[in-house]
Amino acid sequence: MLLTLAWRNIWRNHRRTILTVSALTAGIAAIVFLDSYRESTFKQMIGVVTTGLVGNLQVHGAGYQDNPDISTVIPNPAQTMAKLQKALPGAHLEERVVGYGLGGSARDSDAVMILGIDPAQQDARSRLFKVVAGMGLGSAPAHRAVVGAGLASRLGLRPGSELVLLGEAADRSMANDRYMVSGIAKTGSGDLDDSAVFLQLKDAQSFFALGGAIHEILVRLEDPGAASAGPLAAARAALDSKSLEVLSWSQMLPELKGMIQQKRNGQYGMDFVVFLIVALGVLNTMSMSTFERTREFGVMASLGTRRRRILGLVVTESLLQGLIGLVIGVALAAAVLHAVGSIDFGSMAGQDIGGVRIPSTVTLSLQARAIGDAFSTAFFIALVGALWPAYKASRLAPAEATRVV
Amino acid sequence: MRSLVTFAALIVALPALGAGPLPSCPSGAGKPDVAALVERTQHLLEGTSSVATMTMQIRGPTWSRHLKMKVWTKGRDYALVRVLEGSPRETGMMTLKRERQLWDYLPLAGRVMKLPSAMMGDSWMGSDFTNDDLVKGSSLVDDFTAKLTGAVQADGHQAWRIVLAPKPSSTVVWSRIELDLDRTTCLPVEQRFYDDEGKIARTLRYSDFRKIGARDFPTTFTVLPSEKGHSTTVTYDEIVFDVPIADETFSLQRLQRGR
Repeated sequence: MLLTLAWRNIWRNHRRTILTVSALTAGIAAIVFLDSYRESTFKQMIGVVTTGLVGNLQVHGAGYQDNPDISTVIPNPAQTMAKLQKALPGAHLEERVVGYGLGGSARDSDAVMILGIDPAQQDARSRLFKVVAGMGLGSAPAHRAVVGAGLASRLGLRPGSELVLLGEAADRSMANDRYMVSGIAKTGSGDLDDSAVFLQLKDAQSFFALGGAIHEILVRLEDPGAASAGPLAAARAALDSKSLEVLSWSQMLPELKGMIQQKRNGQYGMDFVVFLIVALGVLNTMSMSTFERTREFGVMASLGTRRRRILGLVVTESLLQGLIGLVIGVALAAAVLHAVGSIDFGSMAGQDIGGVRIPSTVTLSLQARAIGDAFSTAFFIALVGALWPAYKASRLAPAEATRVV
Repeated sequence: MRSLVTFAALIVALPALGAGPLPSCPSGAGKPDVAALVERTQHLLEGTSSVATMTMQIRGPTWSRHLKMKVWTKGRDYALVRVLEGSPRETGMMTLKRERQLWDYLPLAGRVMKLPSAMMGDSWMGSDFTNDDLVKGSSLVDDFTAKLTGAVQADGHQAWRIVLAPKPSSTVVWSRIELDLDRTTCLPVEQRFYDDEGKIARTLRYSDFRKIGARDFPTTFTVLPSEKGHSTTVTYDEIVFDVPIADETFSLQRLQRGR
């Protein structure tokens, strides 16, 4: 009844309603588009993190995150992996050895990060690197290495080249050995492209004199963008907290997390500006519309309509316009996002934020968070814009109001 | 017969190398010539050439290990270090310095690796000594401007304190070095190395002075870095100064053959 009445009322002056709805639509579309664009970028960056070097969660020997010493290890990986898999049934687990050293040849050398991985554990969820020349480690015999593209070009390495590694081992001796480059790879991170040497897990374990120990177990959740809190708690509960630590990607990359948070706060600022501008417009039209209907509200009041119902009617009229604006605004933003498709960062590409490379192109799509933001903004615009006129309409004295021409 | 030839070569070579006796110590002087003091210290520690065998004890908070090595030096430009005894994969490891460049021979890899010049200030073999220390990369005389700041008590010695500031042209990693010299003997007591932030990055102590030829030489060097629980001690088992060394010793081709 209230809804029908409100619906009929807003189309009595359709020109005004169309104008109000247009302003709302434009504001909402702007919020949804910019928010979606930003969240699409974040989603892609988080995807790079959780499917790449970092994963959703990591297990280390206790204290490794603060002081990544080569001798801080997970001493019995098989046992830890089993416990972890039981606690997180759908998750995918990968073992890692991580160390630092020098890589090079008689001609030149450079600082390198040495990553031991088990190719058999890399599945569809692992996007640690993409081989751009030669072969990966999958079918390679022992003593093969995959080298980051930046490092390879600086050291002049090609598939088939010889790579010499030098580094401090867990027993503090100087590890040194020779490997054959099987492939050149690109990762999601500029730092990594410039320094990474990937070895088979067993080769890395013997290089760093680790025995069967490893440094990290990576946990990749089924959904790369999944929240970490639940799985983090489950993993922590399953493992001995004295000898092992479990961290989420946002704890390991606080800069990235901070950057995302900061940009989201910026988004709230923009939402507020849109809210102010559009809400003032709505306030204006709703004031006009209630003023014009003073006599009508007077008649309603004298017929015994409760004040609360009149207030509700005006607010509902405004909310209805807000809803129309929201639906059209989201649809418009979705259409624009689809039409633009993807954004090329051009000169920005190749820069790193928090150790994660800014994706060179971002595929845009409508993001749930953006719709949520737009919904609350539209709701408050309609509510705030209507409250004062609605209040005034509901407080009209029936006798005087009916006399207004 | 062989030793006779060496002896003869030594007699002939000595004056040619300019290895004069160590300048005397101006003990008791009210205001000694600081440049002369620094030059005397460098000459005392390095000579014009040297061959030494030494033991290096490297200690960390929970571990300790030792290396035995032999070191050849010739002037400032040539040095060779060879690990005689260490963990199985380190034995036979060598570091060669030729002018401003460094190479490592890696015995397990059977290959030579050229070290980036930026690595001069990095740890040598995981010890608290840097590559620069080991191959005498920088020179107290040539790379620093010395200033005498006064007489102090250091480690129970009446000592001169000399502050060495790196010259703009030098590539030294330290922002400043303080050197304490015993006032009566002019022998080094302690050296402190300051980082960019003006904090002491490490302390080098000289002890166990023994008569080596004409000089009193500190046969124990101890480095204490700022990290707690770490230290490295080098003890000279044997050292001779100002001996002729064939250029061939410092050849890259020889290093590449692992000999």
